[in-house]
Amino acid sequence: METAAAFPLRAPPKLVTRITIVHLIEMIFAGILMVFLVLPAIFKFSLVNASFWQIYGRFYVTGLFGTFFYVALTLPLSVVLGFLMGWARVSRVRIFSWPASLYVNVFRGLPPLILVIFASLFGTNLVPQPIIDRFLSGFRRGDIAVGLAAIAIGMHSSAYQAEIFRAGFQSVPKGQLEAAQALGLRPWQGMRHVILPQTFRLSLPPLGNEFAGLIKDTSILAAIAGTDLVAKSRDLLGILPASGFPIFWIFAVWTVVAVTYFVLTYSVTRGLRLLERKFHTPGLEGISL
Amino acid sequence: MIRVEDIQKHFGALHVLRGITFDVKKGEAIVIIGPSGSGKSTLLRCVNLLVEPDAGKVFIDGVHVNRHGIRHEWVRQQVGMVFQSFNLFTHLSAIENVTLGLTRVKGMPHDQAVEKARKLLARVGLAAKESAYPAELSGGQQQRVAIARALAMDPKAMLFDEPTSALDPEYIREVLDVMTALAREGMTMIVVTHEMGFASNVASRILFMDAGKIIEEGTAEDIFQRPKEDRTRSFVSKILR
Repeated sequence: METAAAFPLRAPPKLVTRITIVHLIEMIFAGILMVFLVLPAIFKFSLVNASFWQIYGRFYVTGLFGTFFYVALTLPLSVVLGFLMGWARVSRVRIFSWPASLYVNVFRGLPPLILVIFASLFGTNLVPQPIIDRFLSGFRRGDIAVGLAAIAIGMHSSAYQAEIFRAGFQSVPKGQLEAAQALGLRPWQGMRHVILPQTFRLSLPPLGNEFAGLIKDTSILAAIAGTDLVAKSRDLLGILPASGFPIFWIFAVWTVVAVTYFVLTYSVTRGLRLLERKFHTPGLEGISL
Repeated sequence: MIRVEDIQKHFGALHVLRGITFDVKKGEAIVIIGPSGSGKSTLLRCVNLLVEPDAGKVFIDGVHVNRHGIRHEWVRQQVGMVFQSFNLFTHLSAIENVTLGLTRVKGMPHDQAVEKARKLLARVGLAAKESAYPAELSGGQQQRVAIARALAMDPKAMLFDEPTSALDPEYIREVLDVMTALAREGMTMIVVTHEMGFASNVASRILFMDAGKIIEEGTAEDIFQRPKEDRTRSFVSKILR
């Protein structure tokens, strides 16, 4: 908030606390334990293995970049869409709330895999040819299809986020808006300075959940022609038996994939917890037992 | 200062206000009493147009305000309002609650707004609490911040909607003291309350409302000691006890 700096009496909340550090140390410790003790003990295989990474490394990096790309594409889109749909859903104006309800119910009600299949098979037909010619001419049709499928996953998530934001809006007591009006604030000012800040604070905790879900859901793109971490790892395993490498590498590969997803989702949810702490407001958080 | 002429209001099938007319002169403090559901809060909200009357006229300082061409935001700057449930902005500290209207509605520079807000918080006895969030304040303190927030806009009149009804008994005094001081300084006010002590000390006139109508009007003595109407008598006997 722009006004915060002018009131130095209240110390800004500590962002990195002892608990954050303890959590971090725990996680690193668990990772080291897994890689250096558990895996070697069970499979007589260490992930610190040059020939393994020589083969898998390229696949891993390409896949990881693919996953990053899909997340970077879908996450901002889903937040914006989810917020707008959530806002529209609480509107008293039917022409806003009704289409938003339809949107939420459709995209929430279909499995993301089905959405991905539809988007990749038929999605390109929905994009007007002039737009493809003008903005997407550098891409192959297949890539456009995967991009649309990624967007479909983002829309699936945005339906859930719309519900999160709707709950956020509805948790702001009616009296807040009344007080804003009584002060002489215009409707959009009341929205901007009174309702929205509270909606965001209330929506932050459940949003972390949803972001983690979205990151994991991008792996569904492996079912079509996606080039994410799961897809690239599977590609490697397709050629593995013929190449004469030990069969338990399969386990090693999926372990690396699992750990990567865990680290990704964990850092995003942790990051959101930091945001929660930054915007911490007495009276706008739940109870802690 | 405030004139209400033959106000009508329906909520669906419910006829809440059935032709209310009254006048508040500059510097007067009017207390409205009446059983719950009698339309007191709705009447108060009609004055600053939080509720739009179905029929009738509202005048503030001679200006007919419930007509086309008058912005609601302008009307609400003329009359401050204090709510039963305080309605402080939860995400803002006490002083930010007071400065919000100054900077956003009046366009006052931030430093100037802070200076004014500090004076007002001091006036309601809360200079030390400026950086506390509403959840960290007692009910009485919250209500005093709410009064400071309304006063910040330099209103011509103040509306109080049962300002002490949601308070624990030990906090009622401090809020009434602030209101009494305000009335003594000549602030025009309309107060919906059941605090009979406050009404007797401060009110220039008391209006008794029932079923959407003003049943009786008079000084505290008239209403409390020799009510003319049966309904007034029965209500007063219940709350005086």
